[in-house]
Amino acid sequence: MNLFAKVLFRTSSLLLALMAVQPAIFASVDDAQSFALQAAEPYVKQGFQVREDYWGGDLGSGEKKAVRQQLFKGNEYWFWLGTEVDRAKVSVHVYDSDGKLAEESDGWEKGHFAAAHVIPKATGSYFIIVSVEESPEERTHWALVYGFR
Amino acid sequence: MIPFIRHLKLSVGALCGLALCVNGAQVPQHINIKQLSTTVEDVVVPLPNEIFGALNKLGAVNWKEHVRSDKGPNFTERPRIALLLGTVIADGFIAVQAEDAAAVKDIGQRVMTLAKGIGVGNSITPHAKAIVDAADKRKWENVRQELDRTQNSVQQAMNEVHDEKLSQLVSLGGWLRGTEVLTSVVKEHFSADGAELLHQPDLLSYFQTRLQAMPEFNLPIIRQIHDALVEVKPLIDVGDRRIPAESVKKVNEITTRLGHGIVTRD
Repeated sequence: MNLFAKVLFRTSSLLLALMAVQPAIFASVDDAQSFALQAAEPYVKQGFQVREDYWGGDLGSGEKKAVRQQLFKGNEYWFWLGTEVDRAKVSVHVYDSDGKLAEESDGWEKGHFAAAHVIPKATGSYFIIVSVEESPEERTHWALVYGFR
Repeated sequence: MIPFIRHLKLSVGALCGLALCVNGAQVPQHINIKQLSTTVEDVVVPLPNEIFGALNKLGAVNWKEHVRSDKGPNFTERPRIALLLGTVIADGFIAVQAEDAAAVKDIGQRVMTLAKGIGVGNSITPHAKAIVDAADKRKWENVRQELDRTQNSVQQAMNEVHDEKLSQLVSLGGWLRGTEVLTSVVKEHFSADGAELLHQPDLLSYFQTRLQAMPEFNLPIIRQIHDALVEVKPLIDVGDRRIPAESVKKVNEITTRLGHGIVTRD
């Protein structure tokens, strides 16, 4: 009986511990994508078509990732970055193939989200730089979606 | 007066909040792209309707003359089916531009058949149904969205079973058909801005690299596409120079030839 109580106690403790860290273990890029899509939602009403495809991964604080993207002059683009991590600070910025900042000035960063707006001056390759600037987590999931009109 | 001061305080507060969240930190005006080389993700393949949208803004396009909904042959080789599937999805976007409900419905059925042929039919059944339903109701935005979802679901299903190479062929098929139509439209009504839409050198390099990594797909059409991309590269990789009408015409000849090869049995 004593042994049974011990096993029960240990199992319960393990379960409780698991429940406590559950968000960190089970959070995923999919959660980050949900936030990115949430940021995109208001723009759909303005006529932006949001791509189903997305990019995602995890980054440590201060780390950056670049996504290369073909943009077409004549279209207008928004890029939305999301993370599921509370109190993380993320950013997204867009540069042309010469490394020159190519975004409009109305990009924004707030809470779980960041967004960048591009009206390409030329058709060609652009670099979308995503960054986790601060985060309470060791690794922070991110997801990037984009829309155009 | 008091409500005005309160209003003023609220406005100032709101402005300060906005200033904080709109690009709070200084953003570098210039970065060294070469330093990014190790962390750059693969180039993203645009959907055909992204190019068509830009093309539309340059002037009215008679999309009806580009609609193609014929059934075509059935292939047994999976790489050929993948290429054809990408082409047919691109045809779906063209039919949406032309607002041709009958063609969209035929294409929805065709997509379903091809997806089954490649073993990913289950993942796109709801999308194919939604395409047909939305076409019936002439809800073009919904059709567009479902075509995007179809391509995404097909590619995800392929990636899940480690058929990434077939997934890349779906993208390639779509890109070739999109480029064929783009060059056809620009060739008819040439403009420098229209020709500039062809400036996609990184995308072309991406496809070349992917094709080189597919030696197991030893099919004539794959070899023809590989050789054709070598021909196309100098025509569109022009740096800051303009792409001339002759280059547009040449790219159109090449992509039309490949398009014919994709839909025709050897």
